[in-house]
Amino acid sequence: MEPKKDGVKRRAFLKTAVASLAAAALAPGLLSAGRFQSDSLQVWSCGGLSEAFMEANGLYEQRNGVQINYTGAFAAALGKSLLGGAVTEVFAGRVLQLAQNLRTAGKMLYFRPLCFTEYVLITPLGNPAQIQTVQDMARPGVRVILPLGASPPGGDAVMGILKKAGVDQAVLKNTIEKESCVIKMMPQIISGEGAASIVERRLTRMDRFAGKVEVIPIPEALFPPGPLTFTIGVMKYAKDRALADDYVNFICSDEAQAIFDRHGFIPAASAKGRTLIEKLGVKDV
Amino acid sequence: MSNQTAISKPDGFFLPKVRRGIQAAMLAVMGQWAFYGIFRCPFLVPFVNCQVCPIITCWGRITSYFWGFWLFLPLSVLFVGRAFCGWLCPGGFVNQMIGKLSFAKLRVRNRVLKFAPLGMGLGLLIVLALWFGLDNPRSMVPIRVGEFWGSLRLSFEHASPYWLVRTFVVLGLVAAGLFIANLWCRFACPTGGLLELFKGMALFRVFKTSACNDCDACLRRCEMGTRPDEVNCTNCGDCLKTCPVDAIKFGRKRKSDE
Ligand code: SF4
Ligand code: SF4
Ligand code: SF4
Repeated sequence: MEPKKDGVKRRAFLKTAVASLAAAALAPGLLSAGRFQSDSLQVWSCGGLSEAFMEANGLYEQRNGVQINYTGAFAAALGKSLLGGAVTEVFAGRVLQLAQNLRTAGKMLYFRPLCFTEYVLITPLGNPAQIQTVQDMARPGVRVILPLGASPPGGDAVMGILKKAGVDQAVLKNTIEKESCVIKMMPQIISGEGAASIVERRLTRMDRFAGKVEVIPIPEALFPPGPLTFTIGVMKYAKDRALADDYVNFICSDEAQAIFDRHGFIPAASAKGRTLIEKLGVKDV
Repeated sequence: MSNQTAISKPDGFFLPKVRRGIQAAMLAVMGQWAFYGIFRCPFLVPFVNCQVCPIITCWGRITSYFWGFWLFLPLSVLFVGRAFCGWLCPGGFVNQMIGKLSFAKLRVRNRVLKFAPLGMGLGLLIVLALWFGLDNPRSMVPIRVGEFWGSLRLSFEHASPYWLVRTFVVLGLVAAGLFIANLWCRFACPTGGLLELFKGMALFRVFKTSACNDCDACLRRCEMGTRPDEVNCTNCGDCLKTCPVDAIKFGRKRKSDE
């Protein structure tokens, strides 16, 4: 009997220990307070990542008691500002070349692959025009709406896909509207005004559009490589390097990457992400 | 000049103070949206494409704000004409405060001022052409989320010339309120122009009766430089106690009042 009692005691002790550790993990601000010199970090990212970053930042702030001063906007514009005189501590940009330019200019200390975007076909619910492939958009009479006037890479990427599929001219003929903004275009597909379009999967995951369109994958071979890649890097202006590194590690951790996955991106840490890193050569050299 | 200083301020008339209080409260409620509309809205015409807007932090995207406002506005016109301008609009409040500092109040009646409110009609036409004719193009790189000053700087840095022109024209006309009091609200605002077009339908209004002897005491008191129930009157009520012959009333105007 005795040994059993001991066992119970030990289990009870272990349970309590685990419980208190868990409790401590729930109030981690207390645990990690004072871990860093700085109590805030300035982060800029490509606007497409904003929803995911806001969620991840919330978690990081809660855990570490650090304030993330976050800006999300069109990466090429932010990149231009950064290559000029603007300053931020961490930058998550789109298009590998931009990160490489920032490195060459000596503004960025290092970068890591963050995630990848992918393009999908969207149709109104029920897919009235029976669209299954990019080629189907070229069938006579299909009302196509394309975000061709959208800020780059929006329009160019979509044209690139159509060209690779060999249907650009035919689809342009079917195009009843060229939208200047993808977000503004979505309701036109939802309402059935347009029967098909091409967008990044992230659009179909936004709260206001989720579940309101049919989503059909496009073969990866048709994607233009440029706009697929997102990287995250620490800038030379980081006031507290340890904090900036820790934040980047967190964003690249499985937990934060799952957030990017939910928002429609392919996490760099996933199997598919690792293949893309190799294929697209996302390396900091 | 002497005319302009002789504004009577009747004792115990607290309505203007109540109005200021409500305006200040509305600044807290709607100011953020109004501020974004001018400084960060990526569309040439702000406040109308909020449901498909890429800016994440603007209150205009909160459905209750957007629909609440656009349903309330026509209803308010039906009941009290342009009272939104006099009582609720944060832009109006800011303009009226700037107007307090202005060199010329220009609260007079003359031929030029009679036609100047047509500027609101012009503003309205431009807005309608941009909105319906050109589908209200997005004309700057939207700073979806960001810190206050940083976002402002980036917005201006990455805006198209069209956006810069529209923004500087609006800001310039508001600033011109330092020279002619309330110039934006009296002679330029498209929303004001829209409300002005329909305010005739209002059930209730501030109006003057046939006792009016054209002394213009109300005009000199009025921040909109007008007289009750004339062009630009917003039913603010400031003039209710200024009339020496008690010709100003609020309520339903009857035939017998004319
Ligand atoms: S929600 Fe968007 S469209 Fe509406 S006013 Fe704000 S910034 Fe402009
Ligand atoms: S005129 Fe325009 S800015 Fe002035 S109070 Fe009316 S709506 Fe507001
Ligand atoms: S005329 Fe009177 S009620 Fe009308 S806007 Fe002027 S002060 Fe206000």
